[in-house]
Amino acid sequence: MDDLQFRRAILADPKSAEPNNAEQKHQNADLLAALQADPAKKQFAQELNQLDEKIKQALNIPVPEGLTEKLILRQTLASHQIQKRKTRVHLALAASVAILGGLLFNFMQFSSAYSNLGDYALAHVYHEQTSFANNSKNRVTLTSLNQKMAAFDGNFSDSLGELIFADYCRFDGMKSLHLVFQGKTSPVTVFVVPKNDQLSFSTEFNDKNLYGESLAFKHSNVIVVADENESLQQWQQNISNNIAWTI
Amino acid sequence: MMTKQVRYEALVKALHGDLYRYAYWLCHEKQVAEDLVQETFLRAWRALDSLKDEKAAKSWLITILRRENARRFERKRFEMSEYEEATITDTQAISNEQNIENDWLREKISQLPPEYSEPLVLQVLGGFSGEDIASMLNLNKNTVMTRLFRARNQLKEALEAKPENRKQGGL
Repeated sequence: MDDLQFRRAILADPKSAEPNNAEQKHQNADLLAALQADPAKKQFAQELNQLDEKIKQALNIPVPEGLTEKLILRQTLASHQIQKRKTRVHLALAASVAILGGLLFNFMQFSSAYSNLGDYALAHVYHEQTSFANNSKNRVTLTSLNQKMAAFDGNFSDSLGELIFADYCRFDGMKSLHLVFQGKTSPVTVFVVPKNDQLSFSTEFNDKNLYGESLAFKHSNVIVVADENESLQQWQQNISNNIAWTI
Repeated sequence: MMTKQVRYEALVKALHGDLYRYAYWLCHEKQVAEDLVQETFLRAWRALDSLKDEKAAKSWLITILRRENARRFERKRFEMSEYEEATITDTQAISNEQNIENDWLREKISQLPPEYSEPLVLQVLGGFSGEDIASMLNLNKNTVMTRLFRARNQLKEALEAKPENRKQGGL
């Protein structure tokens, strides 16, 4: 290693002349050998290390007081704002979910799972089948029936048969009148339902056990559901003859 | 959340001094240096998850700070060569022999071309090796070593010429 090389190496990195600079030891073997061989070089390296110490002290300017606190404070403020933005987003999300939930609830509650009167009528009858026995001793008088019919602006002039049960019920979300008559083998159900667009009108419908017929009046539909032993036509005939609408 | 906070605070406590000094020697103004450090740590906080190796934290932060400093020049290109007085005067409040010497040397360092002073600061203050500095500054190692050599050589020559300078009343 010549003198110029040596000076360049030391000036570029005075620490490379330190014997315990383990990281670059093998690279420094030449340098250290040259250092040991020549006292002048050793002197030079020492001077440079002193210079470096001075440089270090000079560079080591005081750090402003409270810089740590300022840095932490700024970060806390910044992350607080992010937090706030996040909470807003969360709030908006929660609100959206609530609105969606509300809409869904509405949809489920007020939209019909059945597309026509017949399907719904059958489902309704099956649902309440167990509540009515054909041999029930319960009787509802014509007067009390007509009181209820008043809500539909209708009136029966004569009894249609043995009325077991008469009350308002929800027919696919609409207030309607649910009548149960004694039939030949099983109860006959009559619904008086206000006219509505949601369910399409079906004149005749049936499944394996029950048959139904609907009759459309000006403001209401009258639906009769009974088993095969009943003459639905007869029932409809009776109803048409007996019913009178005030409007 | 908490662990990120803890990491951040540890990072601030361990490295804000080094970073501030580095920033100072980059821009030669205390206020600007402080702003740079603030900006750097704020960015570091946002990107903290991308710091995988804690040992690389210092060079990571320095890289962010250099980028911030460069951005500063994109914003305004003037306000460059007026640092000399500020640098010298505001550190001279408490004067003893050592401080005068330091101040003199500081002046000399700040008079070095930035391409010389920056690797010097990184090496002496940051304790980075030639390779580290080369990768941080996007230079090859030989260039870095040459610049370090020239930086020290200039300071050494200045120091050797100093007694005469003093007699003439300083430079």
